[in-house]
Amino acid sequence: MSILSVHGLSKNFRGLAAIQNVSFTIEPRSITSIIGPNGAGKSTLFNLITGYLPPTAGEIQFKGKRITGMATNRIAELGVARAFQIAKPFRDLTVFENVRIGALFGKAGPRDVDATTRRGLELAAMADLADRPASELTVGQLRHLEVARAIATRADLLLADEPCAGLNPTETAAMIDVLRQIRASGITVVLVEHDMPSVMEVSDRLLVLDAGAMIADGPPAVVSKDPRVIAAYLGTPDA
Amino acid sequence: MNLVAQTLADGLVLGGIYALAAVGFSLIFGVLHVINLSHGILVLMGAYIALIVSTELHVDPMMTIPLVMAVLFVFGYGYQRFLIQRAVDRASVNSMLLTFGVALMLQNVMIWVFSPDMKNITPSYAFKSFTLGPVTLDAVRMSALAASLVLLSCLAVFLKFSSLGRVIRATAQQTMAAQLCGVNVRHVYAMTFAVSAAFSGAAGIVIGIILPFSPNDEAGWTMNAFVVVVLGGVGSPAGALIGGLLLGIVNTLTAQYIGPSFPNVTMFLLLVLLLLVRPNGLLGNAFSASR
Amino acid sequence: MKKHPLLVALCIVAAAIVLAFGPMVLPPFYVRVGQIMLYSAGLGVAWAILGGFAGYASFGHAAFIGVGAFTAGLVESQFPTLAAPLLLLLGFAAGAASCAVVSLLIAYPILRLRGTFFAIAMLGVSHVCSEVTNNVDIFQGSLGLNFPQIAPAGMDPASFFYEVYLAGATIVLLIAWQIRRSRFGAGLLSIREDEDTARMLGVPTERYKRTAFVISAVLTGMMGVIYAHSLGYITTESVYRDDTNLNLIVYSLLGGMGTLFGPVIGAGLLVFVTQVILARLLDFHLFATGLLLVLLILVAPGGLSGLLKRRKTAA
Repeated sequence: MSILSVHGLSKNFRGLAAIQNVSFTIEPRSITSIIGPNGAGKSTLFNLITGYLPPTAGEIQFKGKRITGMATNRIAELGVARAFQIAKPFRDLTVFENVRIGALFGKAGPRDVDATTRRGLELAAMADLADRPASELTVGQLRHLEVARAIATRADLLLADEPCAGLNPTETAAMIDVLRQIRASGITVVLVEHDMPSVMEVSDRLLVLDAGAMIADGPPAVVSKDPRVIAAYLGTPDA
Repeated sequence: MNLVAQTLADGLVLGGIYALAAVGFSLIFGVLHVINLSHGILVLMGAYIALIVSTELHVDPMMTIPLVMAVLFVFGYGYQRFLIQRAVDRASVNSMLLTFGVALMLQNVMIWVFSPDMKNITPSYAFKSFTLGPVTLDAVRMSALAASLVLLSCLAVFLKFSSLGRVIRATAQQTMAAQLCGVNVRHVYAMTFAVSAAFSGAAGIVIGIILPFSPNDEAGWTMNAFVVVVLGGVGSPAGALIGGLLLGIVNTLTAQYIGPSFPNVTMFLLLVLLLLVRPNGLLGNAFSASR
Repeated sequence: MKKHPLLVALCIVAAAIVLAFGPMVLPPFYVRVGQIMLYSAGLGVAWAILGGFAGYASFGHAAFIGVGAFTAGLVESQFPTLAAPLLLLLGFAAGAASCAVVSLLIAYPILRLRGTFFAIAMLGVSHVCSEVTNNVDIFQGSLGLNFPQIAPAGMDPASFFYEVYLAGATIVLLIAWQIRRSRFGAGLLSIREDEDTARMLGVPTERYKRTAFVISAVLTGMMGVIYAHSLGYITTESVYRDDTNLNLIVYSLLGGMGTLFGPVIGAGLLVFVTQVILARLLDFHLFATGLLLVLLILVAPGGLSGLLKRRKTAA
């Protein structure tokens, strides 16, 4: 059974269609990347799935349960987590305390808070920075903190907003490694990503959005040869 | 019917003055994102200067407008540049509290200098009035309203067409971009504050000729400005005018039909209702599209 | 440094026991100052549960002092034959209940506002409550309301109220400490830091904010009930005070915003400065408070604890 299914989803902003009749399903324990040119509606899609914005039409189901129109924190309690593109750490707290907030809240059910926090830190390769104040981290480390905190919510589905944007090649490789570790631990990952080499490397499947509509869906090797995708997004052959 | 018309007319006059009294607060809030809790002090400073000058020199209080505006312009520039700017660099609540501290100090100074008693400015035409259909209007109120509308229009024109006005609007919309274009943001902030203080002082004169005032009123005028801005929207003379007129009418209607002792109750009920329906005020923020 | 969780609570209780001997050794003037300090500390901590922990700085908490005090007074006056301790308990119950109701009613609209908007809207709430109390006849706000004498016959009322304030402040502090270390407290902290992120992590932000608001209001109201009894007679002006509205923020600013003991330290210091050092300069009172506020923000924006922390990192 699919973990996330989106059916006929649309979102208009004052008549402008940001998302038009988008449908897809996500299989558990996979890494799916949503790609598309700027303004294609990728971040809007995340905002809709996490309940941050209400959709104009359509339905979203998580683990077979309808979550359309639910409050953001209720959706998080069901097991959806999001890592922001622009990291939003709690700057006055240490890395450990940041991640611990995720472990204290997040998915409903019993938990060992400290053990969950440590697991989140380890999966995101942040264990050795646990006692640093979040305000002292580099951009790359903040991205890892963002992921660690999301994982510590014990989520089954991680939505990651451009985790590799602005990172240097070493940092990008480390982040790709973290994403693979997360998948291996049984968590389903959906990425929005611009960085094409990392997308091709890490994804099991690509979804391509253009101007709010879905134009392609399939394994990276197939999608990257789709002429419509090349026209809409990749543009130049060597991109 | 006559009573309704008279009440509405009184409300409009009062509203025009509220608008002028709030526009400085609105501009500071819209451009600097500072809630200026010493706003009422600026208004009262204008009123006291006009009182002294017009009685000492035996001139019409309206003639003191240029002088009052000049004094407050200078005061506002220095106040922003040397005090508030230091707090703005930190959290926003800090700048608000700083202005509150200054308000307390200056209120205390005003009590020493002018005594806590009610004062008012009495122009020569104080007791003249004329009728227009069912409505009686006295000369003082009409000249106050006229002065308010003229000053508001001047500010609107200044913001829209002068080069400083353009820079102020640009800075409010895109602080970073303005900085990159070579705008000295601190100077623009201080100029905005200076212009706002000048208009607040002018409002003080207009208030002084129609209502009694004392140093203890300063918080009331600050609250009034806050309500006007939330009702009408931040940062524009038009927003202040709409908010001011709305508040003026609501206040006079309440005083006439519910009772004179509840101005705050209706004012804040109106405010809460509006915030529930339109969290950004009737016109929204004149400067930023999403906030 | 890992502290035992109960250590803080034990320290609070031990300090309270030591302070309880105050009236036996202090001259009467300082017993009076001690009362004000304890009252202010209790209010400051109650304020900080919302303003410090959750970051919703209220500029109108005097509303709850007034609502609590007036309701307690009106309810108590219906039972003139009741024994003094029962009367005080009844007053607490009435004050707490009324503050709970009022705060619940306004929580939904007012907590949609953030930052300075929330602060000013609370100031409005305080003014509205004061106006209603003053002008609606049953509240007798303009006439004033008498409170029965509740101090035991053989005891000096000043000492008695010193002990009642001490008990009140200690209870408020223990409640705040318990909140601070709980999951609820961590949720409030995340709301203060970034409300959208908190929600994304599953923190029920709306419910938590409302809960913190009601707890803060109820505790403030109960301190107000003690205050009303210690005055013996209240009017609208004596409980809905704008200087209280301001001072509650200043306590946290002075001692350290968002910390447990910040408001206690801040209240102690400010009361000492205004009541002892500036006691003879009544005309300068507003000016001095304003100046202190301005200097505080320019010199030590993180409060005294922030100043200490900066020293430490600089060293």
